[in-house]
Amino acid sequence: MLQSGGTGQAAGADQKQTNQQEQTKPGGAPSLGDLGFTPQQTQADAEMQARLEKRTHMLKIHQTLGLITAIPMAATLITGPQAKAKGKNGETITEPTDANLDFHIALGGLTTAMYFTTAYYSMFAPKIPGVQPKGAIRLHRALEWVHGPGMIVTPVLGIMAYKQENSGEKVHGIASYHGTAAWVTAGAYGASIVAVSWPIHWKFWEGR
Amino acid sequence: MNKKVAIALLLAALPLWAQTDSQWMLEQSTLTYHMSHPMHEVNGVSRAAKGKGTCHAGRCDFLIAAPVRSFDSGDSNRDLHMVEATRGAQFPMVVVRTQFPETAMTAPILYADLEVQFAGQTAYYKQVPFQRTAHGNEVQISGTVPATCSDFKIERPSFLTVPIKNEIPVRVEMTWRPM
Repeated sequence: MLQSGGTGQAAGADQKQTNQQEQTKPGGAPSLGDLGFTPQQTQADAEMQARLEKRTHMLKIHQTLGLITAIPMAATLITGPQAKAKGKNGETITEPTDANLDFHIALGGLTTAMYFTTAYYSMFAPKIPGVQPKGAIRLHRALEWVHGPGMIVTPVLGIMAYKQENSGEKVHGIASYHGTAAWVTAGAYGASIVAVSWPIHWKFWEGR
Repeated sequence: MNKKVAIALLLAALPLWAQTDSQWMLEQSTLTYHMSHPMHEVNGVSRAAKGKGTCHAGRCDFLIAAPVRSFDSGDSNRDLHMVEATRGAQFPMVVVRTQFPETAMTAPILYADLEVQFAGQTAYYKQVPFQRTAHGNEVQISGTVPATCSDFKIERPSFLTVPIKNEIPVRVEMTWRPM
């Protein structure tokens, strides 16, 4: 028993069996069977419950890892300009220091690894049949089509740019879009996080 | 001879008279739970409830039930999480039973003792006030069930490590008609 008595107060008891909901009350009181629900609506489904629990567990990891991934992603963007050769053609080209370049590459590698680990927990979370995506999750999923390819293209362009710089060339061609691809990817990633948190009502000053 | 037949018919009909005085059916309903989090305010609505009431020997028994999955908060992801957190696949129905004297049926405010089965638990709410308005043959009932997560041993879902509020009041709007 939790509590009892008083207006609107509650007292509780465990339901020992799943089918207790089906019990017929004595004395001609209506029973659940009188209401006309289909067996599919009233039937307990332990397998589905287990599937939902696994789904929630995996999506919680997805959420946590996704938020943590934003940290190295932001750091990679910030260190990008320090890892870039400066100067126009015909002028003196200032090469980045090895330390700056290595640090940027390490952050990029960490971001990529964490991103795809995060994605794994979303992609392989159990699907629930018959549920049409509705609400904020639709934008969250649509943005995957931007930051997903972006997280493949950006490192590839980064490797191309690195090779060009290493061979004493100014970064040129498609590799010169490494920075742009990174910013678009990070923008879509940030929007994706905001999308599932929207609408936000800031009420942290209120008690829990 | 005719007199004997009439008496026999009357005696046969007596149990029928004693069985049920009146029956009520839930015509339409809106059940709305409210979930509160420092960053979010969410309402989940179900219009899929069904209900039946019987009044007999001065006492009324009412039963209302709705599938847990029928609650729609406008976000399929959140709704699935709600079903998981409330063990809604294992216990797919929220079932409310109440009893009150038939005389209370005509009062403008109906104080009902509720037995709520949800999430594999049964909670009892004493003297919950419901407003009653009659419109011709139909009766509208509205009120709020002061449910909490802890009443049903529901582990409160959290967002950014902050759990939702324990209170999940359920607003009830129902229209009943006699059968």
